[in-house]
Amino acid sequence: MLLTEQEVKTLTGKILSMVTADDASAAIGSNKQSHLRFAANNVLTSGTREGRSASVTVWIGGKRGSASTNDLDEPSLKSMVEQAEKIARNAPPDREYMPTLGKQTYKPVNSYFEATANLSLADRARQIGTILSECEKSGVIGAGFHNANSQAGGSATKNGNFEYERSTGVGLSVTARTPDGTSSGYFLRSHNDIAKLDTMRIARESIRKALDGRNARVIDPGIYTVILEPQAVADLIGGFGFGSNARTADEGRSPFSAPGGKTKVGEKVFDEKVTIYSDPWHADLPGSQSAGGGGGFGSGFGGGGGAGGGIPAQKISMVENGVLKNLTYNRFWAKQKGAEPTPGPVNTIMESSGAAMSVEEMIKSTERGILVGRFWYIRATDPRTASSTGLTRDGVWWIENGKIAYPLKNFRFNQSTVKMLGPGNVLAVGKPERVGSSEGGGGSLLPALKLKEFNFTSQSEAV
Amino acid sequence: MTFSRRDFIKTASVALGAVSLPSWVYQAHGAVPALDSVNKDALADAALSTAKKLGASYADIRINRYRLEAVNTREKQVLNVSSGQNFGFGVRVLINGTWGFAASPLVTVEEVKRVTGEAAAIAKANSAITRKKIELVPTPKVVTTWKSSFERDPFDVPADEKIAILLKINEAALGVKGINFVNSSLASVNEQKYLANSDGSRIEQYIIRTNPSFSATAVAPGDFQSVNSLREAQQIGFEYLTKHDWVAEAKQAAEHAVMKLKAPSVQPGKYDLVLHPSHLFLTIHESVGHPTELDRAMLWEANYAGTSFLTPDKTGKLQFGSKMVNFVADRTQPQGMATVGYDDEGVPGQSWHLVKDGVFVDWQTTRDTAKLVGKSKSYGCLHADSWGSVPFPRMPNVSLTPSKQNVTQDDLIADVDKGILIYGRGSYSIDQQRYNFQFGGQTFWEIKGGKVTGMLRDVAYQSRTTDFWGSLDGLGGEATYEIPGSPNDGKGEPGQSNAVSHGCPPARFRQINVLNTASGASSGQMEDHN
Repeated sequence: MLLTEQEVKTLTGKILSMVTADDASAAIGSNKQSHLRFAANNVLTSGTREGRSASVTVWIGGKRGSASTNDLDEPSLKSMVEQAEKIARNAPPDREYMPTLGKQTYKPVNSYFEATANLSLADRARQIGTILSECEKSGVIGAGFHNANSQAGGSATKNGNFEYERSTGVGLSVTARTPDGTSSGYFLRSHNDIAKLDTMRIARESIRKALDGRNARVIDPGIYTVILEPQAVADLIGGFGFGSNARTADEGRSPFSAPGGKTKVGEKVFDEKVTIYSDPWHADLPGSQSAGGGGGFGSGFGGGGGAGGGIPAQKISMVENGVLKNLTYNRFWAKQKGAEPTPGPVNTIMESSGAAMSVEEMIKSTERGILVGRFWYIRATDPRTASSTGLTRDGVWWIENGKIAYPLKNFRFNQSTVKMLGPGNVLAVGKPERVGSSEGGGGSLLPALKLKEFNFTSQSEAV
Repeated sequence: MTFSRRDFIKTASVALGAVSLPSWVYQAHGAVPALDSVNKDALADAALSTAKKLGASYADIRINRYRLEAVNTREKQVLNVSSGQNFGFGVRVLINGTWGFAASPLVTVEEVKRVTGEAAAIAKANSAITRKKIELVPTPKVVTTWKSSFERDPFDVPADEKIAILLKINEAALGVKGINFVNSSLASVNEQKYLANSDGSRIEQYIIRTNPSFSATAVAPGDFQSVNSLREAQQIGFEYLTKHDWVAEAKQAAEHAVMKLKAPSVQPGKYDLVLHPSHLFLTIHESVGHPTELDRAMLWEANYAGTSFLTPDKTGKLQFGSKMVNFVADRTQPQGMATVGYDDEGVPGQSWHLVKDGVFVDWQTTRDTAKLVGKSKSYGCLHADSWGSVPFPRMPNVSLTPSKQNVTQDDLIADVDKGILIYGRGSYSIDQQRYNFQFGGQTFWEIKGGKVTGMLRDVAYQSRTTDFWGSLDGLGGEATYEIPGSPNDGKGEPGQSNAVSHGCPPARFRQINVLNTASGASSGQMEDHN
């Protein structure tokens, strides 16, 4: 069972009442996950899991300690507080200590849907059964993952702040493979509201990609013009986590570092068609009411646990018409630099600074190029340029004279994200769609991109 | 220190067999008397009898406690000391050949009965759409306890002792001219696991893992380079911090980070590679560990981690590597992160060949996959990363057998005219069937005329699994053998983490495609093997 606002208030209050330290913050969380995994046109595993957590961070004479437990009874909470205080007493001074927040005012975000939280086992079985039948009818081997989760929690500080949030999420991904193992298609979508998850579209798209991807041909690796579907963009840049941290940039360790201990804020780092921002209240991608206060472009759900986080989230611009507008400062680094702590980002929305172009229009305007549906196993190779390597997966197509000509075998790429989005390399930006990284991670609103140059470095025969 | 294979064999007899578990198993830290009263056998009886009543042909319950302590520092300061624990249970039932699972942190008889009912309801709802029933191979009933091998429990060591070691590491790195930043951390993990199943098995296990690490960074105008520790996580106690000279290693890593700033960037092309165990272990993990997972070959991972280029018809036939190549899957290897007494469905830890004399010969199996390749017993590869996670096939330690000759790393280098020696884990990327990979490292050393001549940077190599292992023509001897481990191998949906090690000596590979990661250019197209 998810904890109510009153229960979280009572529990965090109880923890803080046990604290003898000078300052403290306490957090309580609860969650429920329900999944069904299928593969080889059969049900694989399925289960539910409930979880709860309590954590406390204390400061005694500027020395910090923290502890956590998943047992919420009074003796366990007391033991947790004692453990944190014991650690703090023995720790050296926390040089980055910031007093915990006083009372804040949050503007709620609507990201909780009862129908998602109370998922019907019979309905889910029916939907997955229909997908399995569709795979069998189409002569493909289906695999996939249906996952619904709900969470509720909050935090309180010794200085008088309290916040509570709850949210739900549901996602479905389907992979369809041809029985001869020569072609594979994939499609993933997620939402907070289960009513908005079109399970049959997900199944049909993956089956279509698998069937259309048969008889793939080999072409030489090299530098090509590419069109990346929103899924491929999500896989590659996901929450745009690279290099957004102000401290790393100030310290000369980020692609957005500038000479002399400066940063590139205010400079045109990307093509002018690119605009990136965070909006906690976006209807298609509700974020969190409270910001983690720096670190990366991640959702800060329940992120009020530490002294660095918990300030009310706001809509903020990260990149506007290609110009880097903000890097993220936590409360400590903001104080060091005489800046304000960043009220986000709590989600990532990337869109065209001008008119958006559909994938169909992008294809029509391409003489020779490659359409990529998904990337896989992306790993950083050089943090200075946000370079990474990875592979295409589950659908690559050759475009010739404005039309998809034939499917291609997979490639490995080596590519700098900064160069990829750099001035002159972005030929067109699509309309953003809600899509999550296929390697895991939350959803973002990301568009298809047409890029002038993208570096494929070797052939991969994997399917 | 470097663990030799002889050391492993010496300690193996201590680690195996039924032992008394520490008295505080199933107690929280601090004074929490309530948990002493957890009667695991009564909880197990409640789960198994409820499951039977609801029609389960098989059921198990795992009641587990996990403890984690982490200390993080940077430069001269402590960033955080945290301590956490997690306690709960998970019930798995097989009804009409369909799995159902449910888990809860409320460890009471009433909750066990309710959760078992929920697991059964899930299995029944999904059995309506099941196409092929799950079948389990049998395993003998076991009632026993098992404890991993360690000398000093890290949870008994005061935080200030840990902090002092980490700050000394930082001090050593910062003492090197040109070093601007250093981070270090120590994570200690304790798993306390209880398993009861409908075969009558009741098994308690107590496992300790220790993971120290650091990273030293040198910054120059418009550039920065880091070098991380080369030692990796192990199933070992706090003695790991005192048996190995971490401070000396930190100083050396810092010197290497500074050197890296000025090291020449590699010229792409074909090179012979000598790979140190601190690097080679992850290459083994990605290119040998994952493709020999039977669930991948059966398309069970098709939607996420991927499938495998190995298929059952290739068993005993496919030339995986050169004749010197032997890979042993091993859940009994001391210090191995995946070493257990028993897996999460009561199958004993075992060791068996995956690749013998260069030929792919066998798979990693569980009770629900073994039959798919005609096996009558499981090799014991079922694992869940939490009481709340569904157990599923996970990798055992997969280790490369060293040469029987007394071959040193220098011997391997001596026979290289143009090559690169690689240490440490860098960037690892491999395709979803485990064919094409690109791996980087921490430090790279040019070999010319049989000698290491200087440092290189921006090195990564690309190859195809069977080509790569086919090009192996030199292995270090037992004295060069190490067993590095990784605490976080991700797989499955919902995603789970597995701890696993890969013992290996240094090894030599001929004519591998090397590219420059700074320019993103490779030496050219790889041959087409379609």
